[in-house]
Amino acid sequence: MFASATPWLLATEATEESEGIDLLLPETSELIAGIIAFAIIFFFAWKWVFPTIGKTLEARQAAIKADYEAAESAKIEAESLKNDYQAQLAQARDEAGRIVEEARQAGESVRAEVVARADVEAAAIKERAAADMSGERDRVAASLRREVADLSLDVAEKVVGSSLDRPSQQALVDRYIDELGGLGN
Amino acid sequence: MESVILAASECDVSQEIICAPQDVLELFFFKDALFTIGGFHFTRTVFLIFLAMFIVLGLLYFGLRKGEKVPSKFSSAIEALVTFVKEDIAIGIIGPEGVKYAPYLLAVFMFVIVGNLFEVTPLINFPITSRMAIPLFISLVTWVIFVIVGFKKNGLRYLGDLIWPKSVPVALRWLVGIIEFVSTFLLRPITLAVRLFANLVAGHLMLTLLLASGWIFMSSVGDIGVRSIIGLPWFVFGLGIYVFEIVVAVLQAYIITLLSAVYVQTSVHPEH
Repeated sequence: MFASATPWLLATEATEESEGIDLLLPETSELIAGIIAFAIIFFFAWKWVFPTIGKTLEARQAAIKADYEAAESAKIEAESLKNDYQAQLAQARDEAGRIVEEARQAGESVRAEVVARADVEAAAIKERAAADMSGERDRVAASLRREVADLSLDVAEKVVGSSLDRPSQQALVDRYIDELGGLGN
Repeated sequence: MESVILAASECDVSQEIICAPQDVLELFFFKDALFTIGGFHFTRTVFLIFLAMFIVLGLLYFGLRKGEKVPSKFSSAIEALVTFVKEDIAIGIIGPEGVKYAPYLLAVFMFVIVGNLFEVTPLINFPITSRMAIPLFISLVTWVIFVIVGFKKNGLRYLGDLIWPKSVPVALRWLVGIIEFVSTFLLRPITLAVRLFANLVAGHLMLTLLLASGWIFMSSVGDIGVRSIIGLPWFVFGLGIYVFEIVVAVLQAYIITLLSAVYVQTSVHPEH
C-alpha cells in the first residue's frame, strides 16, 4: 500500500511543476501514427482476414463433409461385405454339417447292410450245415439199416438153412428195425 | 525502464524507501524524436505503434494465409481468435447483423491486446495504450459508429427514446432522459478511453517503480549494506504485479472490444 501511495504523491507534485494534463492529452504524432496503424489493421481485417478465413472455413467444411461421406459409404460397403462373408461362412458351415451327416448316414446304412448280409449268410451257412448234417445222418441210418437187414437175413438163412422168400423176409426185417428205431427215438 | 533508471539513479538509497523519478511523466514521454519528417516527430512511442501494427498484421497474415485443411497450432490459435471476435463478440452481442462490425472489432481487439502486452514484453516494457492517443481515437470511432448506426436504424426516434424514455414513469422521464443523454453521448467515449488508458498507466507505473526500486536498492548493496534488503520485497512484489498485468492487458483489450460491441448493439436495438 505504501509502495503505491508514494508514486501517486510524487505524481501529484509532478503535475504541479510540469504539465500533468499532458498525460491526458493525446500527442499529435502519436495520434497520427495510431490512426494510420489502426486504419491499416482495419482495412486488412476487412478486406483480407474475414474473406480469407471465410474461404478457409468453407473449404474445410466441404472437405470434412466429403471425407465424412466417403467414410460413411466405405463403412456401408464394408458392412455389406461383412454380411456377405458371414452369409457365405454360415452356408459353408451348413454345407459341411450336411456332408458330415450324409457321410454318417451312409456309414450307418453300409454297416447295417453288412451286418444284415452277414446275418443272412451266417443263417444260410448254419442252415446248410444243419441240412448237410441231417442228410448225412439219414444216409448213415439208411445204410446201417440195410446193412443190419442184410446181416440179419444172412444170419437167419444160415440158421434156417434154406432160402427164405427174400423180398418178404426183407420187408419183415425192415419193419422190425423201424419198430426198433421207433423205440430208439 | 531505462528512463526511470536514469532518473532514479539520483535516488538517495540511504534515505528513500522507494525510488521514483522526479517527474512521473518521464515514464510516459519520450521527448527525443528518433527522427523528424516535416514536423512529424518519430518518437519511440510512434515506433512502437507501428511495431504493434506490424505484429498484428504478421500474426493475422501468417496465421491465416495457408488456410490448411488441418491447421497448425499457430493457425488454429489465430483462427480461434478471429472466430471468437466474430462469433462471440460481434454476432453474440450485436446479433446476426453484427458480422458487419467484426472487422472493426477485430482491429480494436488485436491492436489493443498487442499494445497492452507491450507493457510486459521484455525490452519494450511500455504499453502504447497508456498514451491517450490510441484509447481516445478508438473510443471516438466507436462513438461515431454507434451514433450513426442509432440514427440510421431508428431515425430521430433514437434521440427521442433516449431523452424521453417511455418505459419510465412520466415524473422521472426528464431526469432519466438527461442522465441517459449525458451518459450515452458524453460519458461513454470518455469512460471507454479512460478505462483502458488508466489501467495501463497504473500498471506501467507500478511495474517500473517496483522493479526499478528493487533493482536499484539491491544493486547498491556495496554502498548501503543491509539496507539494500528493502529492494527484495519491491522486486518480488513487482514480479507478482508483472503476472497480474498480463491478465490486465488481455482483460482490458477484451473489455474495450466488448463494450464497443455493446454500445453498437444499444443503437441497433435501442429498446434493450
